[in-house]
Amino acid sequence: MEFNNLQEIIVEENDAPYLNQVEKLLNEQGLKRDKDIEYTIAIENGEEIIATGSFGGNVLKCIAVNPEYRGMGILNMVISNLISEEYRRGNTHLFIYTKPSNQKYFKDLGFYKIAEVPGHIVLFENRADGIKKYIDGLKKNNKQGKKIGSVVVNCNPFTLGHKYLIEKASKESDVLHVFVVSEDRSLFPFKTRYALVKEGTKHLNNVTLHESGDYIISNATFPTYFIKDLSEAVKIHTLLDIEIFAKYIAPALGINKRFIGEEPICKITRIYNDTMKEMLPRRGIEVEEIPRLVVDGQVVSASIVRQLIREGNFQELRKLVPETTYNFIISREAEDIIKKSTLYFNIAQN
Amino acid sequence: MEIKTAATAGTLESSDALISVEPNSKNGIEIELNSSVKKQYGKQIKKVIIETLNSLGVKNVTVHVDDKGALDCVIRARLQTAIIRAAKAKFNWEEDDAKCIN
Amino acid sequence: MYKLRRTMMFLPGNNPAMVKDAHIYGADSIMFDLEDAISVYEKDAARLLVYNALKTIDYEGTETVVRINGLDTPYWREDLEAIVRAKPDVIRIPKTQTARDVEKVEKVVEEVERKAGIPVGTTKLMAAIESAMGVINAYEIASSSKRLMGIALSAEDFVTDMKTTRSLEGTELLLAREKIVLAARAAGIYALDTVFSDVNDDEGLANEVRLIKQMGFDGKSIINPRQIAIVNKIYTPTQKEIEKSLRVIHASEDAKKKGLGVVSLNGKMVDKPIIERARRVLTLAKASGLSIDEGGEELV
Repeated sequence: MEFNNLQEIIVEENDAPYLNQVEKLLNEQGLKRDKDIEYTIAIENGEEIIATGSFGGNVLKCIAVNPEYRGMGILNMVISNLISEEYRRGNTHLFIYTKPSNQKYFKDLGFYKIAEVPGHIVLFENRADGIKKYIDGLKKNNKQGKKIGSVVVNCNPFTLGHKYLIEKASKESDVLHVFVVSEDRSLFPFKTRYALVKEGTKHLNNVTLHESGDYIISNATFPTYFIKDLSEAVKIHTLLDIEIFAKYIAPALGINKRFIGEEPICKITRIYNDTMKEMLPRRGIEVEEIPRLVVDGQVVSASIVRQLIREGNFQELRKLVPETTYNFIISREAEDIIKKSTLYFNIAQN
Repeated sequence: MEIKTAATAGTLESSDALISVEPNSKNGIEIELNSSVKKQYGKQIKKVIIETLNSLGVKNVTVHVDDKGALDCVIRARLQTAIIRAAKAKFNWEEDDAKCIN
Repeated sequence: MYKLRRTMMFLPGNNPAMVKDAHIYGADSIMFDLEDAISVYEKDAARLLVYNALKTIDYEGTETVVRINGLDTPYWREDLEAIVRAKPDVIRIPKTQTARDVEKVEKVVEEVERKAGIPVGTTKLMAAIESAMGVINAYEIASSSKRLMGIALSAEDFVTDMKTTRSLEGTELLLAREKIVLAARAAGIYALDTVFSDVNDDEGLANEVRLIKQMGFDGKSIINPRQIAIVNKIYTPTQKEIEKSLRVIHASEDAKKKGLGVVSLNGKMVDKPIIERARRVLTLAKASGLSIDEGGEELV
């Protein structure tokens, strides 16, 4: 019925009464409110909230409709509102993760399936040719060879550890494709990270750099709000990443091997690596785990480098990064970036 | 009119159409249509879109349409809205009125 | 001929499903809203949708009204620039405070009519009164323009301005309603009452309609097709009223035939307002679908 009392309400983060209702509605459907939410819309019927939806970055999430109000186009209303607001913010390429049992709803709303982990998760985007255009772009850098390797790195910032990993991988491959994660959720913005990787690997003539684009998913954007526990979430995330890598990216470039850095400390990365080692070979892609570079008895890690930056300990950090990275860190440009991050870090610590 | 950014108008609710436009790097008009009545009305919808784009003088654009059973005048209205948002321009009522597309 | 305006149905101008079917519900008038029902971000979309809809869709004789944005917003001029060209029957001015407000709108409407080649004066106006000042100025507003076909009370904003709230009894609206009907009658235009927002309270609505009909209002704004039948029923004349009106009309026709200057019925003189009322009653009766034994003559 079109003539109804339904109202669209934007829920602010300090709006406790509405937020509680939103959480309750989500919980009733086995969902929880995700971290990293920038905007939430709720539909109210004059008394209570009967539907809700949110987004963080270009990912739509935490979408639920009260079962009594299903079949009335309320989901359309919510999604339309989210899309409208995303576009107003300049995000036109949008993604949705959902349970496989819900996928039929999103097909009707102008979303196209990218990949699925059966029984666990499906990823959609709002472009029919999104992934295709990305792959076509990759193909332009297709290079011939027998051993075609790949590495996915964040490089926040580019350290000697990264350099070591890439050099080893380069030596063992005819062609090496290096993907730098595009997402800007790191201390150093993507442009900077990419530039540092480029500088630090230009001496290797079989290396091709790529932006990861929206199709290699970082931990930050992978939603966990409908998965029961964290380690299960990591596993599913990895499986989805593997699915996309094996289905689209590897075939586009003829990749038959993936190099990963051993992970002695971070449990999440370890689960990620173990899953890769188990699953990628089943898709015809060999996996080689390369031990981490050790300097002065310590594993070189980007997080340690960031810590040293925050402490202002340039002497120590000089031992852990290539000259090109060090020169950037002490530059004017880096100063602002670091200042901003130190502020956030201190706030987070408290 | 020239499109400067991507923009959207309309909704996915019944009888409406969600129309997104963005500059076309390849020059020319590209239309992607999603409609449950694509077979019967696809041609007509595309006709309305091209007529509207011509009347606004838009030459390079990719138009994505999610149609939920919208009438021609609704498609036209949503497309006009998306275009002026994308071009950050004002709609010329006098010109459109004179053209009497209807 | 008395134009029926028992019900004026509000619908958001940005909703295609409602906009395209608005005329099928049986309201006497339909009002496309560009103002309060439309968010700031969608003003452009609503304007274009209503413009295109009015130009294309055949509303089969139902009176079309468009509520433009208030004169204190940056939208109203472009609303008029667009909508007048689409030729709605009436433009509704929200939050009318003074006659000057009506004149401002009329000036722009006339400009657009000229530019668009529409005969000047075609587009009618109506003024919604939503504040204390507006109520005080009711008569000057009601008589401010030849195009003005009616004034309406918009209670929601009015009670806020009055620093009170709405009640079922309507105590807070007594004077405002009286004044608006008075002003409308003095100026010879229509008086329309405000929205009843509880769409599930049929009895509450019926009570309110009985009240305002007795006060002399020509009709009411409605927000849901369900309300149409209730309003129309109460505006349906009784059999007694119909019979009396028929006799008045017959007497009037009779006098005309005989070339008499004065109409009389049952020994009493029947003057113009009574004849007009009789016509109104029969129009209402006909619209309600009642069969009237007209004696084979066209009476209305």
